[in-house]
Amino acid sequence: MPDPYDLLILGSGSTAFAAAIKANELGARGAMVERRKLGGTCANRGCLPSKNLIEAARIVWEAAHPRYDGLAAAKVEVDFPALVRQKDDVVRDYRTKKYAAVAEGSGVEVLSGDARLTGPHTIALDGRTIEADRLLIATGSRPKVPPIAGLDSVPYLTSDLLEADEAGRLDELPESLVVLGGGYVAVELAQLFARLGSRVTLVARSGLLRGYEPMLGETLAEAFRSEGIEVVTSARVERVSSDGGGVAVAVETPAAGRIIRAERLLVATGRTPNTEDLDLAAAAVAADGDGFVTVNAELRTNQPHIWAAGDVIGRQHGSQMATPVGARQGRIVAENVLADAGRRFDGSVIPRAIFVDPPIGVVGLTEAEVRARHLPAVTATTPLGYVPRAGAIHRPEGFVKMIASTIDERILGVHVIGESAPEIIHEAAMAMHFKATISDFLELIHVYPTMAEALKIGAQAFSRDVSKLSCCAE
Amino acid sequence: MTDEQPIVYIDLGVGGMPCDDCVVRVTEALESVPGVTDAAVDLGSRSAVVRARADVEGSALARAVRATGQYNAFERRRRPAADA
Ligand SMILES: Cc1cc2nc3c(=O)[nH]c(=O)nc-3n(C[C@H](O)[C@H](O)[C@H](O)COP(=O)(O)OP(=O)(O)OC[C@H]3O[C@@H](n4cnc5c(N)ncnc54)[C@H](O)[C@@H]3O)c2cc1C
Repeated sequence: MPDPYDLLILGSGSTAFAAAIKANELGARGAMVERRKLGGTCANRGCLPSKNLIEAARIVWEAAHPRYDGLAAAKVEVDFPALVRQKDDVVRDYRTKKYAAVAEGSGVEVLSGDARLTGPHTIALDGRTIEADRLLIATGSRPKVPPIAGLDSVPYLTSDLLEADEAGRLDELPESLVVLGGGYVAVELAQLFARLGSRVTLVARSGLLRGYEPMLGETLAEAFRSEGIEVVTSARVERVSSDGGGVAVAVETPAAGRIIRAERLLVATGRTPNTEDLDLAAAAVAADGDGFVTVNAELRTNQPHIWAAGDVIGRQHGSQMATPVGARQGRIVAENVLADAGRRFDGSVIPRAIFVDPPIGVVGLTEAEVRARHLPAVTATTPLGYVPRAGAIHRPEGFVKMIASTIDERILGVHVIGESAPEIIHEAAMAMHFKATISDFLELIHVYPTMAEALKIGAQAFSRDVSKLSCCAE
Repeated sequence: MTDEQPIVYIDLGVGGMPCDDCVVRVTEALESVPGVTDAAVDLGSRSAVVRARADVEGSALARAVRATGQYNAFERRRRPAADA
């Protein structure tokens, strides 16, 4: 049998890649194991294809709904199969250049197959036994399918519809679509399809974007409704069934029961970790009740030589299921495993975006989280209409909510919905990284007129009436 | 009594950015650890074999290599000198 690998990484997503590259730099003989496609969820059926199509849908929408008097609406014809093909090309190109070539160039082996643990140091890979001194579980997550009556007997889509080469892919634009779920994947996909021309009904168990600042979901629901997306909140799905060529979804809301009919059904009700086929028990690795692998802050499992990171650890230690978070954790694991770095994952400053329109960017704590921790804090919520650029380009919708400590004025959280939110949130994140205070936002000269001025104006709102500011928020 | 410690071979993985005098620097770092008799560093295979007293810890070797500021090392395994 060949020498054991120094580090065997289960998975080949962003978490695995970051770990593999760092492990290689640190001198390890490492390998990644993948049963689907190199690059994992983000590259093949997550971030990349969704953001590609969302931008195309924005172009279609903006052409049809110009914000300026003097610009006439124009209809952009959507050739959905062609749009899907260009998305697939982008994904394949990324997979080749950013994943396959990188793996090859850095000497990291990629083993294909379905991995299963068979002992503390061994996995079975399609009949072969592979040995490793140390293991990283980075098997990620997949769409969670809720226990809804009838769901097993109707065809339904998941976010895997974004895949290029697998069975769940979608090639025809549905005339109508029911989306189950209220999280970020559900809202991004609902608006994407609506803007490309599907009639979309979004059915959420509570409000939209539970866990985020409530005003974000409320503002988004309002924006969705004004675009013609039907948003059904506080809804319990009783049953789904086939209905002619489509589906019928029986929904109970506090107001009434109703049947929603559509050509296709998209289930986007959350993510579940890829652990149940791994046989964690064979290596005596502990997981929680939902199957997320249990780790300490250094990302080590209960077994000293087995580590876990990325989506597969869920929300432990302030983690979030997002690509750059997994990548950071992958690197930390490599440094801890091979260089005894003793690094702990710190999830206190994780900027996050939701690529809807109006877009959302958040970092730090929500007001509810601040209250739950009994932190003395003040909040200031400022409509983006006060930002000069927002008025200048007819994009006044949205707001910025800033939360600051009353002890030292440090910023604890920033929540933005509106134009360019995913970009401007980085200023807030950098500020929090350096433990900035309200005054730091006021001291910094901001470019005029940019949406990032929202942060300066938002900081002014703690102490002044921002409706009376002139240029440049001085 | 340290003199009576048997001699072992300790296999290390070694990583870092390639440079001209690396082998010398890593070898010197390893040989500076008390109890090490000698070290053979092969940057091609990114590994080193250290001959040392059995009480020399892999972590001490790793620390010495890391102290160069450019290299990393970690213990793979150790074997009795008779095996070599
Ligand atoms: C629609 C959608 C949009 C998203 N958009 C964003 C975004 O805009 N920004 C962002 O930051 N994040 C986004 N995400 C989340 C992001 O994709 C994940 O957080 C990220 O991919 C997690 O990386 P990972 O490496 O931990 O896991 P994954 O990327 O899921 O990779 C794990 C890999 O392990 C493989 N695997 C699992 N089990 C086995 C086994 N037994 N044997 C062999 N291989 C196995 C899987 O096939 C998979 O390829 C999005 C997700 C979705 C679904």
